[in-house]
Amino acid sequence: MNKNALIMIGIGLVVIILYLLGVGSLFREGNEPMFVAVIVVSLTILYYTNRAKRGEEIYLRPIAGLVALEEAVGRATEMGKSVLFVPGIQDMDQVETVCGLVILGYVASMTAKYEAGLNVPVARSIVMEAARETCKESYLKAGRPDQYYDDMVHYLTDDQFAYAAGVNGIMIREKPAACFYQGKFYAESLILAETGNSIGAIQIAGTGSPAQIPFFVTACDYTLIGEEFFTASAYLSKKPELLGSIKGQDIVKLIGMVLMILVFALNGFNQAGWIDFDITEFITSR
Amino acid sequence: MLMKRQIPLLIVIVVGLITLFGHFIANEGVQNFVDNDSTQWYDIIASFAIFLGGLNLLKLQLLKIYKKQKNWQYSILAVVGFFFAITVGFFFRGANTISVTGINAEKVEQAAEMIAEETGESTSSILSSISDPSADYELQKIYKTHGGAEDFSQKLEAYGETQIEPIEWGAHLSATRGETGSLFNWMFVYIFTPLSATMFALLAFFVASASYRAFRIRNFEATLLLVAGIILMLGRVPIGEYIPAWLIGVFFVMGLGALLAPFIKNRKITLGIVAIGSLIFLIIGFTNGWNPAIPGFFHLPVMQEWIFQVPTTAGARAIMIGIGLGIVGTSFRIIIGIERSFLGEQ
Repeated sequence: MNKNALIMIGIGLVVIILYLLGVGSLFREGNEPMFVAVIVVSLTILYYTNRAKRGEEIYLRPIAGLVALEEAVGRATEMGKSVLFVPGIQDMDQVETVCGLVILGYVASMTAKYEAGLNVPVARSIVMEAARETCKESYLKAGRPDQYYDDMVHYLTDDQFAYAAGVNGIMIREKPAACFYQGKFYAESLILAETGNSIGAIQIAGTGSPAQIPFFVTACDYTLIGEEFFTASAYLSKKPELLGSIKGQDIVKLIGMVLMILVFALNGFNQAGWIDFDITEFITSR
Repeated sequence: MLMKRQIPLLIVIVVGLITLFGHFIANEGVQNFVDNDSTQWYDIIASFAIFLGGLNLLKLQLLKIYKKQKNWQYSILAVVGFFFAITVGFFFRGANTISVTGINAEKVEQAAEMIAEETGESTSSILSSISDPSADYELQKIYKTHGGAEDFSQKLEAYGETQIEPIEWGAHLSATRGETGSLFNWMFVYIFTPLSATMFALLAFFVASASYRAFRIRNFEATLLLVAGIILMLGRVPIGEYIPAWLIGVFFVMGLGALLAPFIKNRKITLGIVAIGSLIFLIIGFTNGWNPAIPGFFHLPVMQEWIFQVPTTAGARAIMIGIGLGIVGTSFRIIIGIERSFLGEQ
């Protein structure tokens, strides 16, 4: 175990001791399980981030939806058509929108490289400014600042269905060859994806809205389901610290699975009368 | 670089940490910042940012008209709509009310009838309101123009004193009296709401076309989806109650036979499995007087409930846990500053 890991564990222990000493006066009562969870998750992610930084190779399984991003932009270039990117209908306070803009950065660098047109209609003004900055940087880094213009990212409306109508209009009129839906979506997801499907565009969706995933799976060629969408940044950048954090995240998931099995088993033992400890009461009473 | 990278990153890290630890620290100031101040700051910034969006929209539409680009005619509608909404929101209230007082006791009935005809209210309710000559009665109608209000006000002056009052700025946006509203309200109710409803209604057709594509039998998964979908749809409607469980059992055995057929070379064995299985379900049906609810598990309402409660919930929770961890992981990466892609860094 290296020095950094020991320091992190030390900091974690100090925080936990401080917490235990100061419950009620300094720390809020009743939030202990959440606090422990935050510390465990943070330390695990930090530990694996450090390991990756030190050069440990991290394997990330191929994600078809992310691999297909370049294929879709390439197809649009070959057909001489534009690429449509929809970063969801929510503001920058949603993690999904931030992830959507991360993917937009990579899509923009590809459209810059292949000299394909990019159209980004947005539903929030702050997202418009952030998306412009992202695209500008991507075009600059791709060595094609001349191709960038502010209006490739443009505002439509804040209203959900008016936005859906606006984007559908763009699809029907311009017939983009590739449509990307990456962000937070609600009921408009199927309206957008079905219209995209009707114009024969290659479609790649990604969202953290569980209710919209089935719609995207049905109507799109590729869908980034749940956590795949959040790994996009690490997957596309291949930065070791980001890859490490993804592994840390997976380890947390493993811990969660082990805890689930443990709770299941302990509850079964309690119901069978083998032990006198009700785990469900312990969890729910905290 | 300092203004574009370091300072925004510092703001993100500091505010992120305060918000995260605000859930655990028992301090009123921190609590207040997390629950109120930070969200209000965001709302204020977003309110100012809307000007950028509005101006961008207007600029693009005007350019389209000016350059006579393809479909430029639609942009005229967008610009007209834009200015109409701005005008009725900020410059023209389109909401005037008439108040009447001191109506002569002899003319009360005539005045009530006249007001009832104008506003659509019942004469009796108006009578009870205007019979006291000292009371001030506001008509349950909003006049979109001052001229319109003045016309009726003049007619009403024969019975008592009248006064025309515009509704206050801000309140005019959602002001309604009886079945009438302000001009902004009218635009909202008669233009915006039907258009939104039209878009939402389209969803029904898109669901149908998407379901058709999803239910097409292409592979094992699509078949499973189709079967589960049929069970759910039938199980949730009244007719599902009356489809006999033993019949569903026979279908189940046939389906099982179709699945096993490719793996069993001797067709007689497959036929035997299907025949014996079907016979078992027929015997169960016969011995129970063809009761549609027996055997219980093959009763459609029970099956659909099981599908909904067990495999669907399990799958949905697995996705939810993944999404939750993804959000936690991404937020953590942003807070500790290793994720900077949202600042344009790759």
